[in-house]
Amino acid sequence: MRALPEWLTDNRDTAALAAMLSPASSRSLETLAAESRAITLRRFGRTMALYAPLYLSNYCSSGCIYCGFASDRQTPRHRLEPDEIRRELAAMKKIGISDILLLTGERTVAADFDYLQRSVAIAAEEMPRVSVEAFPMSVSEYRALADCGCTGITIYQETYNSERYEALHRWGPKKDFIDRIETPERALDGGIKSVGLGILLGLSDPVEDTLSLYRHVRHLGRTWWRAGLSVSFPRMRPQTGGYEPPFPVDDHLLARIIFAFRIALPDTELVLSTRESATFRDGMAGLGITRMSVESKTTVGGYSVSDSKNSREKRDEGQFEISDNRTAREFCAALRNQNIEPVFKNWEPSYNGPSARINYEREVDRSASTITPETETCH
Amino acid sequence: MDVLKLGSYTFSSRLILGTGKFSNSTVMLDAVRASGAQLVTVALRRFNRQQAEDDLFGPLSTIEGITLMPNTSGASTAAEAVRAAHIARELSGSPFIKVEIHPNPQHLMPDPIETFEAARILAKEGFLVMPYIAADPVLAKRLEEIGCASVMPLGSAIGSGQGLATSEMLNIIIRESTIPVIVDAGLRSPSEAAHAMEMGCEAVLVNSAVAAAGHPPEMAEAFAEAVAAGRKAFRAGLMEKSGFAVATSPLTFLGTF
Repeated sequence: MRALPEWLTDNRDTAALAAMLSPASSRSLETLAAESRAITLRRFGRTMALYAPLYLSNYCSSGCIYCGFASDRQTPRHRLEPDEIRRELAAMKKIGISDILLLTGERTVAADFDYLQRSVAIAAEEMPRVSVEAFPMSVSEYRALADCGCTGITIYQETYNSERYEALHRWGPKKDFIDRIETPERALDGGIKSVGLGILLGLSDPVEDTLSLYRHVRHLGRTWWRAGLSVSFPRMRPQTGGYEPPFPVDDHLLARIIFAFRIALPDTELVLSTRESATFRDGMAGLGITRMSVESKTTVGGYSVSDSKNSREKRDEGQFEISDNRTAREFCAALRNQNIEPVFKNWEPSYNGPSARINYEREVDRSASTITPETETCH
Repeated sequence: MDVLKLGSYTFSSRLILGTGKFSNSTVMLDAVRASGAQLVTVALRRFNRQQAEDDLFGPLSTIEGITLMPNTSGASTAAEAVRAAHIARELSGSPFIKVEIHPNPQHLMPDPIETFEAARILAKEGFLVMPYIAADPVLAKRLEEIGCASVMPLGSAIGSGQGLATSEMLNIIIRESTIPVIVDAGLRSPSEAAHAMEMGCEAVLVNSAVAAAGHPPEMAEAFAEAVAAGRKAFRAGLMEKSGFAVATSPLTFLGTF
């Protein structure tokens, strides 16, 4: 394996966060919550940005021990064809969704880059904001996705402990720890505007992983200063493989991690998905979390199946079990009860396209009369 | 009459309100009404034609007597902001555009180079350009030269509530400007707004301080009163500040002179 990146052990500005995360911390959860809440209110106001995942395909080439889509699971495999994607998008639009995250497994022949790129182009016709959570790609692939209207990618390292990582990822391309940790950098080099990072809590020492995640955010923020950064704290959920997390994280510790992150990174978007219970999500709204998924389906074709009684029966199992099963309407009502405005559209398609540095390179190319190599087109 | 002049438009209110960050559009509309603002800014990204409940533009257009100033918040380049301005004009019919370009979505600091470029293009196209900028006196003059309707330097970072942290630079900008200077961002309390007006700002723009207040409409009203008081004080002329105490008429022994 290649050497670990230097920033992974950079302790320049982790002391304050480490102190907040320590079980022996002098600051009670209540004081952290109060500070986190005040920062969130000032910076983000009384609003919650909403998005929903759209599972394009559950084919996968990797053997992640904790995942319901790992290639050795008996789950039926399926990928959405263009007309099915359009049906899913229509069903999502009906419930108000305007910000979506397209998901696939690790790269396979069935769901490869071309398939993903075509899917992004279809989605970008319908939705103001399209992000992708798929497999690690090359700079030029990311550039092509940005050209098709993909503004963000989500790529969780799952754990920053390379030994644990090695043990958990049994086979497949995801086994390459370094390749994965460098993926956000390739995406940003390719002109992707924002990157979502995360750890899968339960897999490894949560405090150690949280500190590494923080180092990653700071490293990207310093080096790719235009990058939009968001951070997620998914906890292991029951899934088809039946894997039991060896480092379970309880509600108190998760809350402490979220508050500490908000205080350490006052401007960074913090995400909480429907993996978490309605009670926990409602409780955390306004205290630090600024972005939540809503009415999520983790099955391929989940939205249009529930939308139409005549369509095919639900035939796949999801990547993991959803905990907050409320409809968008119910969830928004709960937010409004807490004086928080659900925001579905918080992006403008006219802001799509590769990020600025890439544009400048193009202009320089043009003015120098060099031939700009055309990357893959969107259709 | 003492009015705020922007292009050929005049406004008796010198408080401009932002419309993001509110808990719902009813509270936002109540705050706008209570503020007496005649100019309000709304982000193009919050225009939602598909879903009325999620849209900020529809509710605002029900209030009589206000002019919308769409903003390009979310744009990270001049090209994106120019595209956004065109769409915003089509949707709102407003000649105003608040050019807001922050390439780093975390700290939301405005990009001077991209902002200048977008402002140059949009001013030429006839927009009333209101650029959101750092408190940079030279940039302010450059934007004035290319025909902006105002300059909108920040008091401190958006949503920070740090008040007039840039006051030294603001003083230079105000002293040298021939177009209205409007402090935008960072204000937390009405007294800070009053202070900005006493310094000679032509208006202030407030959003977080109202939206994140305990009672937004009441806070909006308090800002309106503070802005009016600060303006009145500026026009009345503040007495000179001195570093030492001055006894009343220390030179009376000299007789009339």
